[in-house]
Amino acid sequence: MTAATSVPLLEAHRLSFHRQDEPVFAPLDFRLNAGELALVEGDNGSGKTTLLRLLAGLLHASEGRLLWRGAPWQRDACAGEILFLGHQLGQKLELGPRENLVFATGLHGRRDDITVDAVLDEVGLAGYGDEPLRRLSAGQKKRAALARLLLQPAALWLLDEPYANLDRHGIALVNRLLERHVAAGGAVLVSSHGAVGFHGGEPQRIRMHA
Amino acid sequence: MSRASLPRACAAMLRRDLLLAWRRRGDLAMPVLYAVIVVVLFPFALGPDLALLQRIAGGVVLVTVLLAMLLALDAMFASDIEDGSLEQLVLAPQPLALMLGMKILAHWLATALPLVVIAPLLAGMLHLPTTAIPALLLALLLATPLLSLLGAVLVALTAGTRRSGMLLALMLLPLCVPVVIFAAGAVAAAQEGLPWFAPVAWLGAALILCVVLAPLACAAALRIALDA
Repeated sequence: MTAATSVPLLEAHRLSFHRQDEPVFAPLDFRLNAGELALVEGDNGSGKTTLLRLLAGLLHASEGRLLWRGAPWQRDACAGEILFLGHQLGQKLELGPRENLVFATGLHGRRDDITVDAVLDEVGLAGYGDEPLRRLSAGQKKRAALARLLLQPAALWLLDEPYANLDRHGIALVNRLLERHVAAGGAVLVSSHGAVGFHGGEPQRIRMHA
Repeated sequence: MSRASLPRACAAMLRRDLLLAWRRRGDLAMPVLYAVIVVVLFPFALGPDLALLQRIAGGVVLVTVLLAMLLALDAMFASDIEDGSLEQLVLAPQPLALMLGMKILAHWLATALPLVVIAPLLAGMLHLPTTAIPALLLALLLATPLLSLLGAVLVALTAGTRRSGMLLALMLLPLCVPVVIFAAGAVAAAQEGLPWFAPVAWLGAALILCVVLAPLACAAALRIALDA
């Protein structure tokens, strides 16, 4: 391993977030290297979503330090390297999966080695590419959002409950995407209540306490 | 892997919002119908006095167009906040202010431009002399984007508050006063056969100022709205 890759992708020291002077979660310390998956665990209301939004750059840490590739976290340094998928999927219901994907890649960039059709096929939406999302089921909407994972280049995935609303095949799809991303040297932070069933080694666990 | 270039991202933003506007085209007809109905009401209320209608025509059309724009304004960022699109926009590597500028442009094209297009018809219903139509159109072409931009800042500031529609109207209408004064001044001057370039130039100057500053203010306000 070279010196450049041994620097953790993301590093948090005594990281915490306060909402109206009340801490949302207890101070956190963790390191996430390239090629690693970390599970964010905790009860409802323990601040999992807040942590992911914080790491994505939507919220500002109240205390503690956050390092990105060894340097203090800055919006410009990691723009385009982080892919955040929250509860709100960021998709337009009037548009089809294909139109939503084309827009997302226009905004965030795209990988050249895969076509939109191949991506839709992979996530199980072949034949639904031009159907407005409004007419698709919750699970299919989720799959349309997951398609961004395949198409967008990003070193770090921040996934908030990626298994919600998915059927058995959908859960297997998420696991396949995670394993492939980690094997390719990407890093993932996943928040989830349920069993993940990830086969790419024992994941790091980040335990949240309110 | 290809990074998203700035022109491509701008084009994608504009294209998506215009496509969305087209898919929701039923909503777009509302402000236009509203404007037509309001203008039709005036002769009924005031009587078919040609001289009176001619005198008020410019002002009525301007105020009606402004009020009609207000109807569509509070939807500018609402659905994007609701479905998480705004989060994705904030996280994109592109400058947020520029992307919001594109959104405002798309919103103006979809909601205000149809109103400008029917303005000569509205003016005709009130017997505005045809000599004043060019001044009216030019004034509207400058005043409507100005209001879209000012409105966007206020929509961004009231994002996330409940019943923001009424609050928005109360905040925006005072800001409309100078816009209405200059736009109506241009139409009145044209009607009298006087030079009307000066008030239009003021509108242009204000528009340039807002084109630069309003998207920046919008971006700052929306970041604050998300950071809570």
